[in-house]
Amino acid sequence: MSAIISATALEETQVKPNPGVLRLCAMAAAALAVGLAVSLSVASNGLMSLLTQATIYAVFALGLGFLLKQNGMVSFGHALFFGLAGYLVGAAVNLTGWPVGTVIVMTLAAIGVFAFGLALVIVRVPGIAFGMLTLAIGQSFYVLVSKSRGFTGGADGMNINFPAQVFGVELASFQNPSSMFLICWLTLVALVLLLALLLRTGFGPLTEAIRENEERVRFIGFRTLLPRAAVFAISAMVTAAGGILSALYTGFVSPESLHWSVSGTVLIMVVLGGSRTLWGPAVGAVVYYLFRDFVGEHTTHWMSIFGVSLIAVIVLWPAGIAGGASRAATGVKQFVARRLA
Amino acid sequence: MIAIQILNGLVYGSLLMIVASGLVLIYGLRRVVNFAHGSLFMLGAYIAYAASLQFGFGGGLAAAVAALAAVGFCLDRFGFRLLQDRDPLTVMLVTFGLLLVFEDVVQSVWGKQSYSLPAPEALQGTVELLGSPFPVYRLAIVAVGALVAACLVGWLRFSRIGLFIRGASTDPVTTAMQGVNTDRLSGGVVAVGAALAGLAGVVSGPFLSLSPTMGSDILIDSFVVVVIGGLGSFAGAFAAAMVLGQVQALGAVYLPDLAALLPFALMTAVLVWRPSGLSGSRV
Repeated sequence: MSAIISATALEETQVKPNPGVLRLCAMAAAALAVGLAVSLSVASNGLMSLLTQATIYAVFALGLGFLLKQNGMVSFGHALFFGLAGYLVGAAVNLTGWPVGTVIVMTLAAIGVFAFGLALVIVRVPGIAFGMLTLAIGQSFYVLVSKSRGFTGGADGMNINFPAQVFGVELASFQNPSSMFLICWLTLVALVLLLALLLRTGFGPLTEAIRENEERVRFIGFRTLLPRAAVFAISAMVTAAGGILSALYTGFVSPESLHWSVSGTVLIMVVLGGSRTLWGPAVGAVVYYLFRDFVGEHTTHWMSIFGVSLIAVIVLWPAGIAGGASRAATGVKQFVARRLA
Repeated sequence: MIAIQILNGLVYGSLLMIVASGLVLIYGLRRVVNFAHGSLFMLGAYIAYAASLQFGFGGGLAAAVAALAAVGFCLDRFGFRLLQDRDPLTVMLVTFGLLLVFEDVVQSVWGKQSYSLPAPEALQGTVELLGSPFPVYRLAIVAVGALVAACLVGWLRFSRIGLFIRGASTDPVTTAMQGVNTDRLSGGVVAVGAALAGLAGVVSGPFLSLSPTMGSDILIDSFVVVVIGGLGSFAGAFAAAMVLGQVQALGAVYLPDLAALLPFALMTAVLVWRPSGLSGSRV
């Protein structure tokens, strides 16, 4: 009896070995192949543009999920970084003649620095109050952007006059769903790979330990504020990458992209996909879009249906799609192992 | 001029106070940050509008408060009670899902256009106050706010149930061990909290106009109030609501460009100074 208990306890607390670099790269290559296959096999332009949108939001969700996974913190204001990145790129492209590549790198750097500074102050606020604080900060930027009509165009949004060529590629390729899908997919896979590699270093275990018990980590002799702020900054930069993709795709930013309901929606994607893995939130985003499109075609009450299904998923399936998938995978592995034995 | 603005601030502060005290009640007993609170506020206003077409303002008020109390009771019985062992984030997202459902229900019943709920006859018109006319109805809002505050304080401080509520908000386990049925208590308290949101919705009906976004605007402001005050603290929420009302009203006059930013700036400043809010020790 006690042997059984200790065996299951061991299974649960067992630290999973980090996947090797080679294996990660192989998985990334496989993911890229899937993207290529999707872009070749989908003929409908409508579905393609849906998938492109979904992939852009998958990048957003990846960033938000990273914060939840590594810091255990919920942000209701991440739309701030998504929208602000679009506005920064737009302003820089419209007002200066800098090459778009430079603009993008500078935007990412600026968002990173801004988020890091902000995080040094706000990550000290514990628990639920943190969520409400991010909500307030995000909303204040929404208000600021909507009100400063002269600079941002107010509620009408801002058109971005990209040059005809971006990175030596025709602008049209960025604004056409099937080629943009590949670009977004590539970005998504590259970001997941980069984050996975980052978590293989000491940074991953350290931040997870802080998430579980910050005080104990401090007793061991680590500083905890800087790693937590770093997680927040990285999460903001990933989200900003999504915002930049969105700006490139539509050539337009509007204050709506900063509204707290966007943050809430992406949080739904994160929970739907499951935040215990890096890729879960991205899957959640794609499922959200496909589901919303499917429901929207049949009824106008998609909000109700979505609300109810969200509640059902959260209550019945707390680990989300990724959790369900990894449970299924473990089950299959055990089944195969038993058969072979 | 300034005096009138201060009065206007008092009006909005009273509304915020009623909404926020419902949030505080629910947070105190269930540790739930209720994202659906704004949509309960909106639901109250729309139900009162529908009922007032038949029974007048008083009938609308009674119908809305009763309906919202029932909604609150069901929310606790079939939601919070079943989820009380789950992660706070989970419950928060469930209330977010409810927000979507309530908004959809209101939009599909009443559409997207805005309505106005007429004030009761006796409270229409204006009075001469400090040399300028002031709507009577707004004074009535302040009176309702004061009444709600007095009743809540009386209820929580001096009644036996109030003692149980205070006990259960501080330490639910010990309170339950003393023989208090905390589940039943929570059902009642969440019903009262939801009814307060509905009451605020009805009262604000003639003051603001009824639209599907009215809930989310006041939700954000009352979050700011609750966080500034310290989650779970009535005294803090009362004070913060009054301050925020003034900030909104005076900001609109003296800093029109930045007025909408001020509440958030205030909240950020308070939290940086005291991460647990003005009078909160628990988060």
